[in-house]
Amino acid sequence: MGALLLALVFVASLAGFCALSLAMDRHSEDVFGRGSTPGPWRRWLQLGGTVLLCVSLGASLQAAGSAIGWVLWLGALTAAALATVGLLGCAPRRFHWIASAAAAVALLGLLVCLLLAASGT
Amino acid sequence: MKEGFRQSMAWLHTWSGLLVGWVLFMVFAAGTATYFKDEITFWMKPELHAVTPNAAPQAKAAEGAVAFLQQRAADAPRWFITLPTEREPSTSVLYLKPPPPAGAAPVERRRRFDQALLDPATGQAVTAPRETRGGEFFYRLHFDLHYMPAIWARWIVGFCAMFMLVAIFSGIVTHRRIFKDFFTFRPKKGQRSWLDAHNVTAVLALPYHAMITYTGLVTLMFMYMPWAPQAAYKDHGGTEAFFAEAFPGGGRTQFKASGTKAPLAPIAPMVAAASSHWNGAPVGRITVHFPNDANAVVSIARAGTQRLSSDQPSMQFNGVTGAQIGTFGDVPKAAAETRGVLYGLHIGRFADPLLRALFFLSGLAGCLMVATGLLLWAVKERQKFAKTLKQGGRIGFGLRLVDGLNLGAIAGLPMAMAAFFWANRLLPLDVADRGEAEIGWFFTVWGAAAALGLLRPTLRMWQAQLALGALLFVLLPVLNAFTGPAPLTVSLRSGPSAVAGFDLVAIALGLGLAGATWLVERKRRKAVSRQPAGTPPGLAASGQGS
Repeated sequence: MGALLLALVFVASLAGFCALSLAMDRHSEDVFGRGSTPGPWRRWLQLGGTVLLCVSLGASLQAAGSAIGWVLWLGALTAAALATVGLLGCAPRRFHWIASAAAAVALLGLLVCLLLAASGT
Repeated sequence: MKEGFRQSMAWLHTWSGLLVGWVLFMVFAAGTATYFKDEITFWMKPELHAVTPNAAPQAKAAEGAVAFLQQRAADAPRWFITLPTEREPSTSVLYLKPPPPAGAAPVERRRRFDQALLDPATGQAVTAPRETRGGEFFYRLHFDLHYMPAIWARWIVGFCAMFMLVAIFSGIVTHRRIFKDFFTFRPKKGQRSWLDAHNVTAVLALPYHAMITYTGLVTLMFMYMPWAPQAAYKDHGGTEAFFAEAFPGGGRTQFKASGTKAPLAPIAPMVAAASSHWNGAPVGRITVHFPNDANAVVSIARAGTQRLSSDQPSMQFNGVTGAQIGTFGDVPKAAAETRGVLYGLHIGRFADPLLRALFFLSGLAGCLMVATGLLLWAVKERQKFAKTLKQGGRIGFGLRLVDGLNLGAIAGLPMAMAAFFWANRLLPLDVADRGEAEIGWFFTVWGAAAALGLLRPTLRMWQAQLALGALLFVLLPVLNAFTGPAPLTVSLRSGPSAVAGFDLVAIALGLGLAGATWLVERKRRKAVSRQPAGTPPGLAASGQGS
């Protein structure tokens, strides 16, 4: 469960930052071409991104305890944000696929963690 | 003319960052390396790579260490025993040599200690490794500098750190669009790209930068700001009394030798008692004050994991009877705990390998932040000379100086660090004062790089130094393969993992420097192709502008 939680910390924060970046006009243009805006999706991307960052925080506190967990979370946020900037620069065409995959893996990981916690292991 | 708040902060940010930037770059780089101090030291002692210490319970390791010290240093005034951990599988013993007889020349602080690594199961010294300062050199360098009294160095570094703190907070005010530009990096756009890189490395690791700078000042706060305890304890025993009260169980001045011999009580029951007092948590460091004296005291501190604070609870035992004297820090007071947490955050001893890697990553971001900030100043300043340069004029003295210092610091330091590792493996084993000789290589290479940079701050020089640094780093694993028993092919498969990690990080850093070399090459080509025929290319390409 420990390794799973740690993976969730990173994947969820990466997916969260990807969603937050796609909610911005500039990066929407980077990914989907000139002139495209997130439009009605903007709110949902912002909400989803925030929720994913909160999931990351929760997993971090669960994995490393309530003191060191905060440090781990901030470190993971830095790494994930740097990765997001790198992806936007290097692979803008595939960015939304990577982001979607990260979000899917994060949600799946969250589900597995919750199930494991519920079954008491 | 009235300036806005933001403009005045921009001015402050520029100058507080520039004036101390070169020192800060070194402090950041050496401090970042310090996260892997133990691993660096281990890599620099290849004699230990083939030795796998046998694991043993803590009490047995402590007994072995005491037996070893009784043989080697029975009359030492103090022993320090650090029990094995996951990062350091050997028992490490350190002892203070007996003071020199009255009238003899005083010994430098560092030379008054002697140390050894022991196999936890047998208590025998593992193969004597080569003499080296190892990662300890970078640790000391980042606040004690070198070739000067430590106290001056700490004031200099503290002064620079204070400037850094000012630069960080004025930078937040200056940066108009923190959230809008959060993910923005636009390459190949000249000054724009430098600013983006500066912003990204600063903002994305901002919690780290603010924390590390502030807590860095906190680590030496009693030196920088001693006045509160001085005033409050003026009539109550002075600062000594303050420290005894603030850090119970930590002092050593309260212990006095009696001069009467008495055998030391067995150590194993004390270790067991301490561990069971902490609900089975492992023991970290054991200090024996005046072993084999009637006034001997054994102080045992808990291992420093799972806790942010650097202050660990400790217990003291009578060294002759083995009776418990007291427990300290089980319920830390709020103020002491606050300081302990801030101190602990700075040194990050609680961090497991993953968290340590994240600290390292943020530290690298800090290096890049300082470096891009310095380069940005030069790029902006160069634009003021655009017209003069077009007419064949020269740039001003200030810019030339900054160009040279930037080169020496940013390109020269990585090269010097790599040279330090090369010296560790290439110097003959029997060189007198070998540890200092390695450090000599570090400063020779850095000094040469800085001198060449100041003489010829050209793009070609940037390229040459970055390329050499890249080569030295990328080839470190090759050097290790030829001069040590654990090449990457072996260490990746069967350990030691610290050696594999070092080699891989060296390759990554080397590739990063190679990437920087490539960027300079592209810029130089552009500068040359833009230049009218007849001008020597070296002149045309001088500096790293736009």
